[in-house]
Amino acid sequence: MKIYRKKKTNRTKWIRFRIGVVSIVLALSFGVIIGRAVQLQIFKQTELSQKAISQYKTALHRMPRRGTIYDRNHRELAVSISITSIYAHPKQVLSQKRTATTLARALNLEQQLLSERLSSDKGFVWIKRHATPREVSAIRKLDLDGIDFVAESKRFYPMKTLAAQVIGFCGIDGKGLEGLEYYYNRFLSGQGTKWTVFKDALGRSFNAQKPLTESQNGYNLVLTIDKNIQHITQTALSEAVKKFSAKSGMALVMEPHTGAMLAIAHAPEFNPNIFAQYEPQSRRNRAITDCFEPGSTFKIFLGAAALESGLCTRNTEFDCEDGRYKIGNSVVHDVHSRGVLSLQDIIKYSSNIGAAKIGNRIGEEYLFDRLKAFGFGTRAGIDCPGETPGSVLAPEDWSDMDALAICFGQSVAVSALQLATAVSAIANDGVLMKPYLVQAMTDQNGRIVKAFQPTRIRRVISSETAKTMGLMLERVVAKGGTGQKAALSGYTVAGKTGTAQKVDSQTNRYATDKHIANFVGFVPARDPAIAILVVVDEPRKQCYGGIVAAPVFSQIAKESLQYLKIPPELITPKETDSIRASTETSTWAG
Amino acid sequence: MKKRRITKKSRTTIIPWLALITFSMAELLIYSWCRVQYVQTGYEINGARQEYHHLTALHEKLKVEQAQLRSPERIKRLAKKQGLVIPNPNQVVVLP
Repeated sequence: MKIYRKKKTNRTKWIRFRIGVVSIVLALSFGVIIGRAVQLQIFKQTELSQKAISQYKTALHRMPRRGTIYDRNHRELAVSISITSIYAHPKQVLSQKRTATTLARALNLEQQLLSERLSSDKGFVWIKRHATPREVSAIRKLDLDGIDFVAESKRFYPMKTLAAQVIGFCGIDGKGLEGLEYYYNRFLSGQGTKWTVFKDALGRSFNAQKPLTESQNGYNLVLTIDKNIQHITQTALSEAVKKFSAKSGMALVMEPHTGAMLAIAHAPEFNPNIFAQYEPQSRRNRAITDCFEPGSTFKIFLGAAALESGLCTRNTEFDCEDGRYKIGNSVVHDVHSRGVLSLQDIIKYSSNIGAAKIGNRIGEEYLFDRLKAFGFGTRAGIDCPGETPGSVLAPEDWSDMDALAICFGQSVAVSALQLATAVSAIANDGVLMKPYLVQAMTDQNGRIVKAFQPTRIRRVISSETAKTMGLMLERVVAKGGTGQKAALSGYTVAGKTGTAQKVDSQTNRYATDKHIANFVGFVPARDPAIAILVVVDEPRKQCYGGIVAAPVFSQIAKESLQYLKIPPELITPKETDSIRASTETSTWAG
Repeated sequence: MKKRRITKKSRTTIIPWLALITFSMAELLIYSWCRVQYVQTGYEINGARQEYHHLTALHEKLKVEQAQLRSPERIKRLAKKQGLVIPNPNQVVVLP
């Protein structure tokens, strides 16, 4: 009995010992689990939460769509298109050398450059931005580790060179760098959005949270430019520049009554889709940023000032000194020697001596005031970057020679825009209008956000003076005038030729072989629909505005008037009746 | 008699439990169904969004193509091929 009790005691002890051991093991295990739980839940909570979130949540950024630029008839001039870019996560690339070789072959890139990029410490490197669909397809088929794709937006100009200097272009990040793209960048670019998307185990998105910021695509711009008139102008100008082996050229077409620019053309042209291949000089909107000495076209404003002063009429006569006029140490020459000429003949035959005498009669101060009133020497305020104010010195700074030369458009610098705007004032009954390029801003649904109306700046000359100037300028284009080649069958044309000597930058004197040939005018002369300026810089074979620029004016005017459906005005009533009769006969017969 | 009383007692106890379990199960099922529908709708919305972006991109491409086809340069070239010329002003008849 005693032995049995002893045995029982030993067994109980053993069981207790085992229970104790198990309890301790369990307690330790729980302790480890609790410790680990504390470590994970408390100390590593933030890090692990982030890791978990990143596995089922993705933040997406949507770039806003850049607004489209339309011409006045809502035809696309600049659009944004979706395009794929290829990038790499260098740390996820398994074999950098093999990947670089494969990519270089498929994308036609330098292997060395790709190797350098793929061995970078960065988490993200570009392989090729704006890849072609064929390149993207080829890389997708290769299924390379660490190589991925992203959709981007690219600016595309479907009309290529059309109004390229005016519209400008965007960089690879879609930011406007030149022209209207630059000037209206903040309206065109819009505002991007950011939101969170939940993903399943396969990485498919299935739910999106409300965007953190509201997305807003860029506004569209509706220009005053007409793509057909722009094309007509560019073609005519380019042909002239080529024909006369000129350095460059500019041509503007404007609505005199509103100030709306219908075309601003430059030669040589450039394609904004591949802008990097062109010299910066050819990408600038020189019609607005550059100034030049206009030559005899400036006599239009001298004539207008003379009539407005009341000191002259169109028949007031001046002695043109048989082509040679000496004042002090200065001598003024005319191309053709003439005797006494009336004011209107001085304009018609473009006499420099006559112009100098008109200037002398009306006085420096008055001439300066009228030139300022026409907008010379101040910015017109067009909605384009880099506009030049030109240069018109104050009378107190004029030398004796300046006082003479300004009368025939030397010693003064104007932009092509200023010249076209000022002649438009004459066509617009003496009222100067502010030139503008954008007529409206619309949202992505085409609703007008902001409309730009024609702006009247001031009355420069009286209506009577404007009408008289119109008649005088018609005579320039008539038989015997310097601008005969600007004449247009069926329409009355008013205009003025100009041939200005250029200053040689090396000698700082007027060069004998470098000229600017120009012609400015409006048509139809009696009821002007368009004002046109043509400037050809350094033509080689001929230098006179009447020979180089006037035919370009005529060609632009002819095609533009037909396009604008402005009927010919110089068909006699007899002709009209016969045409009407034949039309009626054919109609009845039909 | 005692057995019958026990059965009745247990029945009165079981019924609320059964009801509670049934209600809970139903709630669980409805909740699961809602979640499944929610996820499914999410997929559909995502699919529709992708379709929208695809169609928008296609629309943009077609607009660009249309613009290129309407380019004055191309039309002039085609017109020249057809022998068309710009008429002189005296060839234009304006009908009253």
